Amino acid sequence: MLSLDQFLLLGSIVVPAFVSLLLFAGFGNTDNFAKKLAYIGFGFPFLAGIVLFFRFDEGDNGYAFEFLCSRFGLQELGIHFHLGLNGVSSPLFAMAGIVGLAAGLAAINSGADRIRLYLALISLMQAGLMGVFASVDLFFYYLFHEFALIPTFIMIGLWGGRDRRSVALEITIYLTLGALLSLAGLVALNTFVDAESFDFPSLSKALADSNLFDSTKSKIFGFLLIGFGILVALFPFHTWAVRAYDAAPTSVSMLHAGVLKKFGLYGLIQVAAPLLPESAQSWSPLLLWLALGNVLFVGMVAIAQTNLKSMVGNGSVMHMGYCFLGIGVCSSLGASSAIMLMVAHGLSVSLMFLLAHYIQRRADTMEMSEMGGLAKQTPLLACFFVAASLATIGLPGFGNFWGEFGVFLSLGQQSSTQFFLYFAALGIIISAVFGLRAVARIFFGEPSEELESVLSKKKISDLSFSEIIPAGLILFSLLLIGLWPRTISPRIDVEIESRYGALDIKVAGSDLPPCCPAKEEKKTATSPLQLKD
Amino acid sequence: MQPYYETEGMESVILSVLLLPLLSSVVTLLFLRKNGNVASLLSVATSGGILVFSLYIIFQTGDTVFAWEMTWLKLAGWELKFGFLIDGAARLLLFVVSFIGFLIHIFSLGYMHDDKAKPRYFGGLSIFMFSMLGITLADNLIMIFVFWELVGFSSYLLIAHYFSTDEAAQASKKAFIVNRVGDFGFLIGIVLTYWTFQTVNLQEIRNLVDFDPSLVTTTLCLALACGFIGKSAQFPLHVWLPDAMAGPTPVSALIHAATMVAAGIYLLFRIDFMFTVDALSLLATLGATMGLFAGFCALGQRDIKKILAYSTLSQLGYMSAAFGLGMPGIALFHLMTHAFFKALMFLGSGSVIHACHHEQDIFNYGGLRKKMPITALTFLTGVLAISGVNFLSGYFSKDAILLGAYNSNMIVFVLLYTGALLTSLYMFRLYFLTFEGDSRSKSAKDATESSVLMTGPLLVLAFLSVVGGYHTLFPDPIVGVLLDDISRVAAMPNHLWMVVLGTLAWIIGGGTSKLFYGRAFNGEPLEARFPTLYDLCKSKLFFDEIYGFYVSKIQDPFARFIEVMELLFISGLLVRGSAGVSALFALLAKACYAGKIHAYSFWFILGIISFVAYAIGFLGN
Repeated sequence: MLSLDQFLLLGSIVVPAFVSLLLFAGFGNTDNFAKKLAYIGFGFPFLAGIVLFFRFDEGDNGYAFEFLCSRFGLQELGIHFHLGLNGVSSPLFAMAGIVGLAAGLAAINSGADRIRLYLALISLMQAGLMGVFASVDLFFYYLFHEFALIPTFIMIGLWGGRDRRSVALEITIYLTLGALLSLAGLVALNTFVDAESFDFPSLSKALADSNLFDSTKSKIFGFLLIGFGILVALFPFHTWAVRAYDAAPTSVSMLHAGVLKKFGLYGLIQVAAPLLPESAQSWSPLLLWLALGNVLFVGMVAIAQTNLKSMVGNGSVMHMGYCFLGIGVCSSLGASSAIMLMVAHGLSVSLMFLLAHYIQRRADTMEMSEMGGLAKQTPLLACFFVAASLATIGLPGFGNFWGEFGVFLSLGQQSSTQFFLYFAALGIIISAVFGLRAVARIFFGEPSEELESVLSKKKISDLSFSEIIPAGLILFSLLLIGLWPRTISPRIDVEIESRYGALDIKVAGSDLPPCCPAKEEKKTATSPLQLKD
Repeated sequence: MQPYYETEGMESVILSVLLLPLLSSVVTLLFLRKNGNVASLLSVATSGGILVFSLYIIFQTGDTVFAWEMTWLKLAGWELKFGFLIDGAARLLLFVVSFIGFLIHIFSLGYMHDDKAKPRYFGGLSIFMFSMLGITLADNLIMIFVFWELVGFSSYLLIAHYFSTDEAAQASKKAFIVNRVGDFGFLIGIVLTYWTFQTVNLQEIRNLVDFDPSLVTTTLCLALACGFIGKSAQFPLHVWLPDAMAGPTPVSALIHAATMVAAGIYLLFRIDFMFTVDALSLLATLGATMGLFAGFCALGQRDIKKILAYSTLSQLGYMSAAFGLGMPGIALFHLMTHAFFKALMFLGSGSVIHACHHEQDIFNYGGLRKKMPITALTFLTGVLAISGVNFLSGYFSKDAILLGAYNSNMIVFVLLYTGALLTSLYMFRLYFLTFEGDSRSKSAKDATESSVLMTGPLLVLAFLSVVGGYHTLFPDPIVGVLLDDISRVAAMPNHLWMVVLGTLAWIIGGGTSKLFYGRAFNGEPLEARFPTLYDLCKSKLFFDEIYGFYVSKIQDPFARFIEVMELLFISGLLVRGSAGVSALFALLAKACYAGKIHAYSFWFILGIISFVAYAIGFLGN
């Protein structure tokens, strides 16, 4: 019998998948009915995400709510349908539920043509996204990713904006390449260590017992890094992302940039770095350099943008650089901060895409120079947009701050990575420049001529209730994490500590600047009051 | 070491004083967006509540130290605390913030009574009070940084109050970005501090530094001082403050004169044990230079608020110099008296601007003393106080700084003394042009005295500007922190000499001003007599032009260049290129499938030949 938790976990994947199936099958013949079905398809994962988030026991590491169905899968290869949540996946799972609901509501109200097909594809994507973070088994983790990815291609091709065909082709090839490389890495890992099954825990156990050559491990890590890196838009493999978000319909941009892109980082944190710590350290300098490329290079590109959606897209790619930096440091502080940032980044980026869509709906354009002074007509939208922009640029009070700050802190630990701290911290200026420029161009000042002509044709009204709900939902979550980071931090801390603990000691022992007392001395150092007497 | 405050329950009082304004702004945002009057009353009531709670905290803790903390975030060995540290400095700033904040809230009721966006304004003020109290109470550097950014945000929000003007749109953005440049250094400083001391708690760092003074380095404390330079608008990041005057005048009084910009000095005071001698002398020189430079800039301005803004910069320079000379207590003392008289003058200018229908050019004022006697009288008090007229508040704090400089660093003294001359010169210029002579515009002719909501706070602040220098009048819990440094300065030599010099400074400055502006004139008398000097003052040494040049001619073209590079090399050469190469192979392969029997037999024979060649080792070795 299933327990409630397992039922919710399984349901979060099955319900949207089933809804999607019904919609594909043409069940119900009115758009209205399709929308009602879609509400269920997005509402259930949201509820499951929230409920399981709060039912998760923060004190334990390892998987909870495990659900194993060995008849489903390929037993001969050790592949089982195995679901569960741990401290790293549980906040991401909840985030996927929240963003999914917001994107779903936006899709339901989008008024796209062939709405039933549209909703069917988005529900399928949602099922895949929930599956990615609920999977324990690597095969299914990968499979669910494809479930979410393929609808992306189709939807960009069918409902996309400017040059959708070529964009759809480009990201299909590019991302399939990335997925293929990471798959090769995963398969190699599985084959070489001869684990008893293809899931995270047994793989790490088997790896600890095996004696692989360091060069082999390093090659495997390289495959995973480049493969996942392509999927997460690591510099210089990032150019697909902005084009894709530019062209994609809003809900797809939200789900892809917000949730699906976390797949690769999640893979690196859950699998690659803890399983192959030595290789991670040998690849770390390269990774740090590339991540710095994300922050500085893509940040400068974001400054140059005049199109709102391109700016949001570039900004999101830029901030992924911070997550990579956190992973590249190879310490538990870096990794756990990267996860804090992933959760907040998913929320804030999807909020930005959603608000960009609201703005476009009103101004009939995405060019920022053709807007101006919109705050007069739409004060509430301006309020949301200012909040979202400030969240993305890491203002304290919003979730992003903790992750970014933690990453900076982790970069400062070793003298070898302090160099990256100085340059990565420049990002806080860069993102303020493009973020606040956008606010000023869109909402402040006098309306442009183009906007005047739009204003003379139609009345621009403020956010409606159905628009406030998804945006408010995301903003509330961002504020909650921002004001009370311990909503998500303890479980991340416990889980990461258990995985990265080994790595940390290495760091502490190897290369500490003379000013830093090593970890063992910390106890005495933090109670200076006793030192005095 | 002061004794600790032991009684339980104080933390919940402090927590409520902190959260009260946050709650008020949330309620305003959620429910009172359409109801300006209720929102403004709620905000004023909140600030009243803050004042009451603050006074309770101040007098309960008395002369003890109260420290309390809890875990805010714990990640991989990094434990961030949310905590309060109430010591003498915190009590002083708490008093200044809550008291002046309350007066300015009341003033805003009058000043903003016909504004359409009252909920946004008063909600923003409440967020500001929340963030400012956070800085005041925080017990560790990261928490200070958090609220540091939040005051920056509320300042951004309030500068952008009149967002439909281009000026406000640009100024708000500029203020936030320039502050971020300072915060960049501050952030790095905090990270380095954490890894040096394994803690960011102020008391723990102090103990560690006492234990081993070699832990602090000049780089470290200068990185932290970047935060001060950004927030207190010191050279070279001073450009945002004059532009920030685009916000409503009470905001300029509260945020950009009395409290937020002074938070930089407060930060320095809280971490003063981390400063090395080199860093201190750098800050002293920087501050004194700023004191002089901003004075010159103020002399060339015509906008009443910009003059006051430059005067704020100059006074912050004095505080920085006092800190750099090793008298942090005097810096705080000047912070307090400056808060009184500068808030007074900003509110006075608000009263004038309100009466003259948002006319801000002092050359379009004149003769307002007869029309607005209370405003004029209180403003004059402020002018006298800032000029250091004997026995008013500014006299005590400023002369203490001058005396300290005279006895330790002659260069700094000369800079500061010249600055003092300039201060009385431009302040009296402002006074004469605004309140004396004949009215020079229609709006000045029609001006009438403001309502009691506005003149009331002016009178209270004028009273404090007069007596604020007598620290013995204040209860000990508030000014206790100043006593050490004040008695040190009192024991210094050359007192009488300084009294003479100080008196001369304001008499010369004021007299010159009277000579130029105290009688009938055409145009700008200073410009007529010394055109080069005036132009130089007006140019503000071209800092805005230089930064403007950097942004439009270097940063933006560079960003576009990077964008083109991305398009050319990454999207083009790498992505399209590899797609092109594979397409080329496909094309070649396709050419082989010619669909003609000759071609296939040709390939077939070629294949056989190469196979045979390989087999007999022709191609191999």
